[in-house]
Amino acid sequence: MTYIDELVAVLGREKVLTDPSEKFVYGADWSPRTPDEFVPPDVVVLPRSTKDVQRLVKIAYAHDIPVTAGGGLTGMLGGAVPIFGGIYVDTTTMNAIVEIDPKNQTVRAQAGATLQEVNDAVQPYDLWLPHQPESKWVSTVGSAIACDNDSTFGVRYGKILNCLLSAEIVTGTGEILELGHRKAHFTSSGYKLKDLLAGSEGTLGIITEATLKLEPIPPSRRVDMLVFPRMGAAVDYLSRLLKAGLCIEAAHINCKRRLRFYTHSYKLKHGKDPDIPQWAEALLAIAFAGDVEVVDSHRAHALKIAKEFEAQLVEEREIVDSWWMSKYTLDFEPFKQTWPDSQTKKKFGAADPGVPVGRLEEFYHKFISVAEKHGLEIIGMNAYLAHPNSIGFSLSCAVFVNYRDKDEVRRFREFHDELSRLAVAFEGTMSTFMSDTYQKAPYLELEHGASLKYMREVKRLFDPKGIMNPGKKFGREGAGR
Amino acid sequence: MNGLEEFREELETCFGTSCGFCERGCPVYQTLKVKTLCMRGRNRTMLGLLQGRFEITPAVVQAAFECTLCGNCDRWCSLKNTEHTRAFREYLLKHGVEPMKEHSSLLASIKNYGNPWFQPRSARNRWTKGLNISKASPGGPEVLFFAGCTSAVTKPLNRSLVASARLLQRAGVKFATMGQDEPCCGSTLLRVGQTMAFEELSRENMRKFESLGIKKIVTACPGCYTTLKKSVESSGVKIDVRHVAQEISGLVRQGKLDLKRSTERLTYHDPCHLGRLGGVFEEPREIVNAVGTLVEMPNNRYESRCCGAGAGLQSAFPKLSRELATKRVAEARATGATTIVTSCPFCETQLRTVPGIKVVDLMELLLDSAQDVEKGNGNNRKAA
Repeated sequence: MTYIDELVAVLGREKVLTDPSEKFVYGADWSPRTPDEFVPPDVVVLPRSTKDVQRLVKIAYAHDIPVTAGGGLTGMLGGAVPIFGGIYVDTTTMNAIVEIDPKNQTVRAQAGATLQEVNDAVQPYDLWLPHQPESKWVSTVGSAIACDNDSTFGVRYGKILNCLLSAEIVTGTGEILELGHRKAHFTSSGYKLKDLLAGSEGTLGIITEATLKLEPIPPSRRVDMLVFPRMGAAVDYLSRLLKAGLCIEAAHINCKRRLRFYTHSYKLKHGKDPDIPQWAEALLAIAFAGDVEVVDSHRAHALKIAKEFEAQLVEEREIVDSWWMSKYTLDFEPFKQTWPDSQTKKKFGAADPGVPVGRLEEFYHKFISVAEKHGLEIIGMNAYLAHPNSIGFSLSCAVFVNYRDKDEVRRFREFHDELSRLAVAFEGTMSTFMSDTYQKAPYLELEHGASLKYMREVKRLFDPKGIMNPGKKFGREGAGR
Repeated sequence: MNGLEEFREELETCFGTSCGFCERGCPVYQTLKVKTLCMRGRNRTMLGLLQGRFEITPAVVQAAFECTLCGNCDRWCSLKNTEHTRAFREYLLKHGVEPMKEHSSLLASIKNYGNPWFQPRSARNRWTKGLNISKASPGGPEVLFFAGCTSAVTKPLNRSLVASARLLQRAGVKFATMGQDEPCCGSTLLRVGQTMAFEELSRENMRKFESLGIKKIVTACPGCYTTLKKSVESSGVKIDVRHVAQEISGLVRQGKLDLKRSTERLTYHDPCHLGRLGGVFEEPREIVNAVGTLVEMPNNRYESRCCGAGAGLQSAFPKLSRELATKRVAEARATGATTIVTSCPFCETQLRTVPGIKVVDLMELLLDSAQDVEKGNGNNRKAA
């Protein structure tokens, strides 16, 4: 009996897809890969429960078969696509909202629930999950944790780990474990194994359920855009706002080029890019949220301080609204979603380094020169403030990549690697929202040094046979092979 | 109409973008949670097929046909997804796939009887009895009331046609019907991938309309509405195609009907072909609001969810089709409405299969409301 026969026998025919066309569908995400690099899984499993996941992992463990779990498949660096075949586990079939606890402001959801589904469920209680990537309609609870992706509202609420209270996983041996501190917001007890899950990419196990902290929905929000002569000035300005005691809900620093990508709908409507002053190099999109009086007062104070930094308010609301639509509301005009229009010939490709707050501008210029050196069409840089009440940002250094062109994909990867290495040299980190995937695996030691050995041991503890998403973070040989 | 190869660049764009926004509103995906049965997955399947990565298998055929072509994916996208799916079906049939047996019988019926429901041609004319409607002829009325196969040959649906005709008469519209000579619009052929047969029928229909001197077609069926519009546009014939709700809403707006407005809570279900695909949202709502209290379902207008009857799903995948209807009815009931109002014979029939809420046709609702007033206020005027 093959392992696929066993999967069918144990889970039922309807939960196991083996047709080549079906496997093809589950084998790709948003990452730039050439068509011949495409490795579809050998079988796709659609579990409905944690028990189903446990059953399939036990079969995989017995037969030494790779297991790659995925959610919305919108990853930008191949984190959830199988690269050694095996079993693909589509967690989106597990999308139940298990419990809403309004009094304690928590929600328990299966890992395959999309972030939007969670918010749709808790909204009647005047609560929301503020972890909001642009992919929230498709990105799932499990994949948000496993990929550690970005959030629009990071500067106030942080990322998914700031919301994560507890998670259930199925380890690489098929053991079901609950990691975390139930509904308490934090703990000083034991090792914080739950935190290992953020950015784990399914290499330790498959996340099957999670308990998440919710927040009250702010009654109002104001979003503005300010232009600055330098990126560094925008950083200094934000620091000054925090010093002033303002509560910022969202802050994103775009370079001038990047604005064009996010205001595609503006360009479609007006036939031209938005007009911003020639001298402006950085655009800060900033939001305040709360009671109207509080928002108005914080906003007024922020605009007053802006004058000290040679900043200018963008008065044309349509520019701001167009950006905010792409970033958050996703309220596209019917039949005119702008992402496909902007990517008809090439894919969006990015590196996601993090650098110290004082070196953003310096790194921005490096990004431009590295992209130019590799002959890539530059989309631009966006610095997302992703840490609560601090200037800590994740960087999206984006270029267009023709994924059909092997040479261009190679150049993109060299660009990605060079920026990752540079970020470490800048006393920063290689990854802030895409995790390591297969891309950074070859040089992970550069960032982690001797501690990488401990990481391998952690991996071995959870996944002794190295079957969980092999090739990600570590080469396959580094995971028990 | 474009073949699948002509959509290759769009399929590659979807593959490259991979946003998955189509999943959120796809009624089939949200019920089954199988990515091959949502547009992003279906686009990938088409691309893989064109790239020669796999052969046509039953799973490929299922991916093509287990879809209502409701267009919800198009609402969230700039690509022509429902056109891809139609071309996908056509591609499969051209490459030796036999039509699904349930669809084959529909096709045989259209060929033999001019309607998909195995009803004799004479059945088309039953609903007109006593209405004194003239038959379309050269030199006759320039407005054609196009009843559509489903309402015409299905007795319980005849009332909606009668209501439409009476209201048009009251509006003073001089119109004719084609009686039992009314052809099938070809909607079914188009949706199940029989493109050549559709184009042939469509050309023949346009010739007929022109020979009768028709300048405007008013139809009560949203499927006919979008299909006839498509035929008219591609043929270049100058005929204005309208849905009956568009014609009649003017009567309501101008206060030409004495309506008895009730306090009943009514919800309106947008038929996919009239709303999202036809762009007619407000006129039906004006009518509902004129006779009762309209309460919207969370998914309305462009975001309306398909009832599950469309594009051959009801015949080929009845269990899934029924699940979609059940979901939509649950959404309607959650509004606290006592009645679902709709303006499509397919939606009406489909939603009625789920107990727990009344389902009425928009024109019937309006006519009933108008007649009630006449009975109750001492006015002896008869409905026209």
